[in-house]
Amino acid sequence: MRIRAYNLIVLVLLLSGLCGQSFAEQRHENQLEDFFNMSLEELMEVPVVVSTSRQVQRFGEPSGPVSIITAEDIHYSGLTSIPEILQFTPGVDVLKISRQRYAIGIRGLHETISDRTILLVNGRAADNTAYGGPDFQGLPVPIEDIEKIEIVRSPGSASWGANSLTGVINIITKKPKDVLGVMGKTTISEFGDSYTHLRWAATEGKWSWRASTAYQEIEDSANAVDGPATYKSLEPSLNDLIGFDNFEARDFSRNQRFDTEIFYDVSKATQISLGLGQTHIDSGDFEIGAYYPMKNMREDHVRSFARVDHKFEDGGSGYLQWFGKYWNANWPQVSMFSTLQNEIEGQLDFASSEIHQRTIGASFRWDHINTSRETPQQIRLSGEPLDEYNAGLFLIDRWFATKRLILEDQIRGDWYSGTQTDWSGRLSALYGLDENRDHVVRLSAAKAFRTPLSVIRKSNTNTVPMGFGMYVINVTAPGDLDNEETFALEAGYTGKLTEKLTLRTNAYYQQFNKMVGYRYSTNLLGQTFAVADNIDGADAWGVETELVLHGKAGKLSTWYAFNDFQPDRGNQDMRAFLPAKHKVGVTGRLFLPDGFALNANYAFVDTTPGNPDTRNHAGSSNRLDLAVSKDLAKGKGQILVGISDLLTKTHDPVMESIQLTGHKVPGLTFFISLMLKF
Amino acid sequence: MKNKISKFIGLMTVLIAGTITAGRGAESESSREYQIKAAFLYNFIKFVDWPEEKTTDSNEPTIIGIIGKDPFGDAFEPVKDKPVKDRKIVINRFKGLEELKESPEKHPQIEAIRKCHLLFICRSEKQKFKETIDLVKDRSVLTVADSEGFLESGGIINFTMEEKKVCFEINVTAAKRAKLEIRSQLLKLAKRIVEEKPSSEEKN
Repeated sequence: MRIRAYNLIVLVLLLSGLCGQSFAEQRHENQLEDFFNMSLEELMEVPVVVSTSRQVQRFGEPSGPVSIITAEDIHYSGLTSIPEILQFTPGVDVLKISRQRYAIGIRGLHETISDRTILLVNGRAADNTAYGGPDFQGLPVPIEDIEKIEIVRSPGSASWGANSLTGVINIITKKPKDVLGVMGKTTISEFGDSYTHLRWAATEGKWSWRASTAYQEIEDSANAVDGPATYKSLEPSLNDLIGFDNFEARDFSRNQRFDTEIFYDVSKATQISLGLGQTHIDSGDFEIGAYYPMKNMREDHVRSFARVDHKFEDGGSGYLQWFGKYWNANWPQVSMFSTLQNEIEGQLDFASSEIHQRTIGASFRWDHINTSRETPQQIRLSGEPLDEYNAGLFLIDRWFATKRLILEDQIRGDWYSGTQTDWSGRLSALYGLDENRDHVVRLSAAKAFRTPLSVIRKSNTNTVPMGFGMYVINVTAPGDLDNEETFALEAGYTGKLTEKLTLRTNAYYQQFNKMVGYRYSTNLLGQTFAVADNIDGADAWGVETELVLHGKAGKLSTWYAFNDFQPDRGNQDMRAFLPAKHKVGVTGRLFLPDGFALNANYAFVDTTPGNPDTRNHAGSSNRLDLAVSKDLAKGKGQILVGISDLLTKTHDPVMESIQLTGHKVPGLTFFISLMLKF
Repeated sequence: MKNKISKFIGLMTVLIAGTITAGRGAESESSREYQIKAAFLYNFIKFVDWPEEKTTDSNEPTIIGIIGKDPFGDAFEPVKDKPVKDRKIVINRFKGLEELKESPEKHPQIEAIRKCHLLFICRSEKQKFKETIDLVKDRSVLTVADSEGFLESGGIINFTMEEKKVCFEINVTAAKRAKLEIRSQLLKLAKRIVEEKPSSEEKN
């Protein structure tokens, strides 16, 4: 008899409800004893991690491998874009396609529109509604407003919904009370790039707010390298047809952001929060499917939310939230988009006992998607305007089974009007090797899915014209597509080797099924026809290890990630790059007397395999960033001077699976920033 | 599709049933928040000095009183074996003020409340803060609560929450009025220090 995974999960969950009471008393007594042995300072600083499971968790207790980029890491790097910062994180693949376009994915499967990694801001979806994928440029979050970035390297669908086949990136912003006053910061690079951020945060009685505005200019590669940014073509035979000789790098960007959050404490137990964020981007376009109009792109993003948080007298808590996201864009080489997403979500954390910590939640989402076009090469979606709906329900239970053993189960079901109902889950066992749980081993099994988005399911487009009404590349809407799915097994260890030295290591195996890619066929006339389909699966495995030394004088961390990925077929299209097998990183920060600080970030990335075309391989890279800062005016100001990408003057062209051409991008960059606070 | 929906519903039903079943055992145990607050109260005793008249007999225990609907449960269990300043800790629980007034044991109970060294006033007594504080006026009782407006009502220490961590704030004027000396180690950890403006009586 074959035991299906969900049968096993049901059985364990039933047992978790009925058993385990007998060990609770012992654990409870020890927990109380621990608190009375703590000092006041320790009681005030219980370490927590916003979770792999939406529940507040202590050190060593996340049910999946988590890396955290802190506000300090961001600030002292001097970097002004989130993708640049992510590349120094274990297991995260980052490829710089142009000066303002990155392919980012956890454990690979990354492209500009990679849709297997979820991006969240304070737990709210930040993927593009039409084609998925983390949209960092469109986020109205200035870099100095980030409190921390949590990177979860494992399927996270049970907690956060679909998309998260490989992981979750959750950006958490600073609260007004953490940044009271006025702050101004400007950064300028040798190429004329600039980033200026103004922020005001204040409290008044029960009200508190934070408002930021930021403006960023990025010069294009043509102006930023010695001579023209050299273009490369994968299919020289098509150069005349596509006008390749006229191609020039137009990867400039003018990005204006506004973001505000307002909090009102109705009472000690209840808080209302409101937020509004807006981004406007004017940028150069880029080639897709050999089509390159060389006209400017425009994007407008608006994000808004309203939320009520309440604490109950028995210690439980909950929230109810509405979230809205609007995107209007003109991408001359793709389409003219207009999308609106509305979501209502609620979560209830039951009062913690010493046996169980439980959370239940639900969400309902409505996506409205429309496209229009000016040229036949632009995408239209069949049956548009599209209105699609999704409803989700999830349960999370942490069972403190014994003094040392925690079992966590997460289960989520999602219904989609446009695709299929599906489920995701995670089962984890965390065992403390010592009574203080300073050393914790973890075993997990997870299942997640990725529902194909509307652009994949519905789009029809023809790109390069051949004349006589024919096109070189013709994309046709597929029939029904199944959800992609993954099953994962993980084992990990987190340990405080000393008071200041922490080791995190994780090994995993993932099986992917029904991966959506494109099937290509070419007729006698040289026309290529592409249609999306569930082609086949893949296997992935790897190890990620991180050692962190943290003290008052600074921080030193080093990490190594081995991420392998094997599609079932040699020429199988995964719609993304595969992970670089070997990645190594070192970060160091040293605080010196008189307000000086030194910061260094290094990352080595092995060759990134292109897919399915091996000509898309991106070569290995070494990146070293150095920065030195000095506090001014008794900490009210700071000047920072830095060099990013010291070891590489110019990067070779990188071409995504949807491109036939690419151009060089400058590497080594000097920059200086000045910050003042009032 | 129908098969998947029925499996999904079945799974949700089992989970919800499991949640309800397993949750029953948790009712008798205190929440983590109040376990931490109990530890805070224990620590407060270390950093507060009472006047001599309150601590003349060194054999007398230090009394922590809890008045109102008690949220602590068994959180104080460990203090039985943990003396502070060479004095045992004793926990006394009292009914809310309204109930106390109607009780035939009103006077002994009120006297017992006044003998406490530290009195935690529960949220259920929020409407009676001033009255309760007046009850122990001039008896050098360290009054503590975890409700908005407690310090403004004349209470001495109030718990607050910031980023899911327990913090506290102190009314130093109220402490002086109660003839309590709060050591600097405790003052420096407070998130907010309140000093009341002198009343017109005090000014005159």
